[in-house]
Amino acid sequence: MGEVRQKKRQEKEKSTGKKKHSKVFLKKNKSNDKRRLNRRGPQLAPSIRREVGQVKEDTESDNYEVSDCSEGETFPGDVYEYEEAAPEEESRKNHRYDTVDNYDYELPDHFKDEDVSSDDEEIDGRNGKGNLTEDSDDDNSKKDDGSHARMLQSITGMPREAFEGKKKSKIVISEAYQESEYNPSRDVLDGNGRISIEDLLNPLQGKPGYSMLRKRIHQTEKKSMALQAPLPKADQEKVERKVAYEQSKKEVSKWEPIVKKNREASTLYLGEDVDLGYSTVGAIASEFKPRTEIEKKIASLVHDGKIMEAHKNDGSKLLELNKVSFEDEKDRQNRLAKMRSLLFRHEMKAKHIKKIKSKTYHRLLKKDRVKEMSVQIEMDPDAAKDLAMKQEFKRAEERMTLKHKNSSRWAKRILSRGLNAQDEGTRAAIAEQLHQHANLTRKMHTLKDSSSSSDESSDEEYSDDQSADESNSRASKLLEKAKEKTLKALEDGEEAPNSGLLALPFMVRGMKKREEAAAEEAKLAIQEFESLSKQLNNSEIENMDTETTNGRRTFGSMKKSAPEPRKKTKSEYYDDTEDEDDTQAGEAVGYDGDNNKSSLFADANIDSDILCEDSKTHQNSVFKSFDETVRDPGPKTTYEVAIFASGTWKKAKDLEKRVDSKPSPIVSSKLEFQGQVTKETMQDVDDQSDSDQELMVDGVLSSANNESYELPSQSDLIRQAFAGDDVEEEFERQKEEILNEENPEPEKPVLLPGWGQWTHVQKKKGLPSWMLKEHELANKKRQEALKNRKDANLKHVIISEKLDKKAEKLYTKTLPFPYTEKDVFEHSIRMPIGPDFNPTSVIGALNRPEVVKKSGVIIKPIEFEEVDPHQKVEEHKQKGQKQKRKNGKTNHGKSAKKMKKVGA
Amino acid sequence: MEKELGNVVTERILPPTEQEVSNEIDVKVKKYMRGEGANLEVLKDKKLKGQLSAIEDLYGKSAKAAAEVEKWLMPSEGGYLETEGLEKTWRIKQETISHEVDILSRRNQHDIILPALGPYSIDYTSNGRYMAIAGRKGHLALVDMKDLNLIKEFQVKETVRDVVFLHNELFFAAAQKKYPYIYNREGTELHCLKEHGSVRRLQFLKNHFLLVSINKFGQLHYQDVTTGSMVGSFRTGLGRTDVMQVNPFNGVIATGHSGGSVAMWKPTSSAPLVKMLCHPGPVSALAFHPNGHLMATSGAERKIKLWDLRKFEVLQTLPGHAKTLDFSQKGLLAYGTGSFVQILGDFSGAQNYNRYMAHSMAKGYQIGKILFRPYEDVLGIGHSMGWSSILIPGSGEPNFDTWVANPFETSKQRREKEVRSLLDKLPPETISLNPTKIGTLMAVKKKEKKTKKERDAEEEAAVDAAKGITMKKKTKGRNKPTKREKKKHEIIEKAKRPFLHEQIKEEELSRKKSRLSEEVELPKSLQRFARKKTAT
Repeated sequence: MGEVRQKKRQEKEKSTGKKKHSKVFLKKNKSNDKRRLNRRGPQLAPSIRREVGQVKEDTESDNYEVSDCSEGETFPGDVYEYEEAAPEEESRKNHRYDTVDNYDYELPDHFKDEDVSSDDEEIDGRNGKGNLTEDSDDDNSKKDDGSHARMLQSITGMPREAFEGKKKSKIVISEAYQESEYNPSRDVLDGNGRISIEDLLNPLQGKPGYSMLRKRIHQTEKKSMALQAPLPKADQEKVERKVAYEQSKKEVSKWEPIVKKNREASTLYLGEDVDLGYSTVGAIASEFKPRTEIEKKIASLVHDGKIMEAHKNDGSKLLELNKVSFEDEKDRQNRLAKMRSLLFRHEMKAKHIKKIKSKTYHRLLKKDRVKEMSVQIEMDPDAAKDLAMKQEFKRAEERMTLKHKNSSRWAKRILSRGLNAQDEGTRAAIAEQLHQHANLTRKMHTLKDSSSSSDESSDEEYSDDQSADESNSRASKLLEKAKEKTLKALEDGEEAPNSGLLALPFMVRGMKKREEAAAEEAKLAIQEFESLSKQLNNSEIENMDTETTNGRRTFGSMKKSAPEPRKKTKSEYYDDTEDEDDTQAGEAVGYDGDNNKSSLFADANIDSDILCEDSKTHQNSVFKSFDETVRDPGPKTTYEVAIFASGTWKKAKDLEKRVDSKPSPIVSSKLEFQGQVTKETMQDVDDQSDSDQELMVDGVLSSANNESYELPSQSDLIRQAFAGDDVEEEFERQKEEILNEENPEPEKPVLLPGWGQWTHVQKKKGLPSWMLKEHELANKKRQEALKNRKDANLKHVIISEKLDKKAEKLYTKTLPFPYTEKDVFEHSIRMPIGPDFNPTSVIGALNRPEVVKKSGVIIKPIEFEEVDPHQKVEEHKQKGQKQKRKNGKTNHGKSAKKMKKVGA
Repeated sequence: MEKELGNVVTERILPPTEQEVSNEIDVKVKKYMRGEGANLEVLKDKKLKGQLSAIEDLYGKSAKAAAEVEKWLMPSEGGYLETEGLEKTWRIKQETISHEVDILSRRNQHDIILPALGPYSIDYTSNGRYMAIAGRKGHLALVDMKDLNLIKEFQVKETVRDVVFLHNELFFAAAQKKYPYIYNREGTELHCLKEHGSVRRLQFLKNHFLLVSINKFGQLHYQDVTTGSMVGSFRTGLGRTDVMQVNPFNGVIATGHSGGSVAMWKPTSSAPLVKMLCHPGPVSALAFHPNGHLMATSGAERKIKLWDLRKFEVLQTLPGHAKTLDFSQKGLLAYGTGSFVQILGDFSGAQNYNRYMAHSMAKGYQIGKILFRPYEDVLGIGHSMGWSSILIPGSGEPNFDTWVANPFETSKQRREKEVRSLLDKLPPETISLNPTKIGTLMAVKKKEKKTKKERDAEEEAAVDAAKGITMKKKTKGRNKPTKREKKKHEIIEKAKRPFLHEQIKEEELSRKKSRLSEEVELPKSLQRFARKKTAT
């Protein structure tokens, strides 16, 4: 096969040989560049060249002739031919192919190389100066050689041949190949007649880029330096890596703006542009087009106008025939469903119940049944009759058989042995049996008795149903009982301990006072009971109001002697107490007891006050309580009046009298004021006397309309209105208490008595310093805490500083991650973002999630797009909520993508 | 000169009306911004800065949109009486007003005389459409105030002290003689709340669905009406009172007491949030401004005080006695005493209340309760002879927000709203003095250190416990008394060890602290070299 190819090549060469040879010696400017290129072409090894040398000379000379005649011819496909030729040359080198003999162009033997050179010279002279000078040098050297030989001959006397032989051999050496662009002539290779850059540059003069090219060449010429040795491999790789990094950096950095934009975007829209396609069956069906023949046929039939029409008509007719009203159908279905479900449920329930083995359950079930029966008996006379019959039957049977009357063998045996000899269980069984018997044989009317008695007791609550007489008697009974009890309590409460804390003088005093109060109270109560019992006798009228007595009694004003007359008057004017009230008299007594207690406590409080403040005498406290009694009825009466806007003139007067009748020089001024108040209230109340009305108008209007009305000074007013009332002090005390509770006062350091006190000297030293120090520190801390309280500067305000544990979950425990400033965080959450607080136009933007995507849609990887990093922010603003972007999924995805791009 | 020029330019650009509009909107935008944004310059985190600025932009947009909505959808403005010359607003009688107003408004001036069943208490639904009245002697009624139609009226035949609507007109609670009851619109008794006892006063918290009562023993009860659970129940310890009012801003309940103190409560703590001494004598009435910053109290010493609840200070003290007080939606303050009603107004905007209007009822009527009707310029008065209603121009909010309360609500809307409000129900622990603080960073709780005494006591207890351990009987050789003793000792030492560790740690800490303080006290010349603390 190799041979065949070679032959082909040879043939080709034959045909193109001429051209080639002609081209070799074309020393035209056009082919200059090519020449330069070809200088690097393959060359034969010098040994081969030498071998073939003789033959080549001949062929070369022949070539010259040919070239002369075909001078000026140029071919466009020169480069191509070179490529073709290259393997040929190689083949020669390898000796696998026959050497080219060039038998076509056999050179004559007398052919000489020198002739050719002259030809060369001529051409060179035409083209370049450098070449010409070289050639002339060559000539000179030949001449020199001749003279030199002659000189040597004359000097040495040796024959000329001895010198010429050397020269001859020199002449013999010639090119192994014919000179072509692939194997340039020797002198070209040696450097003679070289083509310089200038040669190549000159023809370009006047073309675009020329000056630049020249400049660069100048520079390179100036800075000509030797090539360095190649770097070691590791360094080389390093350099390469560096360059690669630069490159990849450039590649990657082009993604930066996109990634940045995505990162900064408040919302990412993924897979927005994906069309999910058909969504409904109808939509899919509407797209259907008949394709096959049968489909077409069917379509033509189905969509035929006539058929459609007919179907329409027929269908409607059929429907009309079939008409069942919607409600009927639904009703039927519902009914059926209900029946079915009921059946099912029932079945299930029955199954379930059947399975239950619990005795308790069955007992309960039985109980229920019995209860139901009893209810039925009450409701249904027939059932009652039935039951009565049944029971009668049972009773009859029992009486007949005496089944449970110790008639069984077992019972007889036990009785014969003696009941006392039996154990507990047996005795119980016998008793049970007897009981059963008794039950069964008991007469019926006993049952009825018990039920009526129970009714009586339960009816007490529903006093409305009872007859008035009954209730009255009951009430009077109750009253009497209450009276007795109070009297007893009065008598009992006389004993006082003679020793201990209670024997201290102030305690005794307090006790006495308490006793007095209690006695008064009791008296009051008794009186009231009396009045009530009186009332009961003549009370017939029923009235709605039930509030009065109870309300008052529980109000806590009972501890004073004052209310007594008022109550009386009240009962006179409003003899309208209901029997319900009467029945609750006992209850009221209970309340009274409570009140007694509370009053006692109040007194005790006062006592403790006295204890605390030594300056205040006992008398003072008495006055205080006195004042209270005076003060209290004021609002009390107004309250009453507000309820009963009818004539209470007399009552008010009574009050006034009562107030006046308290002679006390110390509190007289206060009393006066109090009188004023009562007067006012009285005036308010009275809507019958005109003069009073006027007064009232004056009073009200003067307070409201007349701003210039001269009020006494603030302190005066307070003293007048609430004399002896130490509201402020009490509040301060409370505050102190609360402060102590929340920031407890440190305990005073104490030493154990005798501890560390061996002598009186040590005693003098006092407490150790560390204890004192500790105490001081604790005190200081407390002061600090108190100072930091919100209410530190507000005298009359206590703001609780207790932490609400339940509310703790409503607050943020720690600052959430990106925030570093509390202030910034709290400002950022100040706006509510819910739909209640924002217009609908912005609610979407406020609440949009970080990523918006459709479910089930594949998210495409990020795509490159030009983003102007500077314009981005404004663009974002403009787009606002309706911003649509195609973006990568996550950071991870993005980076993966980036890497991919870099690799590509 | 420049300024003037600038003005001219702007005027040329914006016609005066438009400029006015923009100014108006600016004011509203400020309102809707709910305070200023944080100072982002402080932030070092660029990302956070960017995010926050984006959010801030959104807030701005939202506020602007809201302001525009308000501007164009809520155009009505509340008016008030204006007089010329020597005329005074408080001299203008109801009759004169009735001549000037339209028919519908005139219908709101009426007196209903119900002499039989005692002084009446009234309550309005939050939308002002329905009114419940309760006569002390057992008369309960429901009235549609739009067409003055009596919906239901019934007699409970016992004392009724107070009535209050629950979340809508379908349910109301009445404080009766022994217990409070809940009725529905048809008058059916739904619940009897026995746990509350004999209730003096009722209040309902709309947002929390809590029914609050104070009974005659001074016990406060909070019951969740949705679940029926008792959320809070505690005694005030301040005696019987019937002065109780809810602060509509934060849901805090305030009670006035005979000692002149006003206590504020929340359902999750048994101690009052705030207790303040408002009057030297008994507190007779109490009312809150809708914005929650202003409280009015009146005492028996014939003084009405206005309190700033942010500072707990008196703003203004007015002479006059009030049996009942109420603030209107627009901030008018009405008080009633005897048969006389006085309305105070704050038209200067500086919390300075002056006389605005007055009204006197027929002689002898005792006013029990006055209440402004929401979204109407109407004041309802419950008194001893029935109830009355008078016109107070400028009292009601002119623009209603149907999301909040709709006076023209259809039954469907009502249902919707019920569901919505149930979904938005606030848990009881959200009641606090300042609800705007919810969600913010919790105040740093100071760690409570055990005192030395406590620690000692604990140690002692631990040692005692260790001593009490009974030893096992070991086998022969290891049951020697010496060994047992040794073991015992070991156990006690072991029990003591953690306390010792604690002590040591504490000592170390204190030593460190002292060292730190020493470090700080560098000589003045060297102080500038000390490392500066990072600003926190």
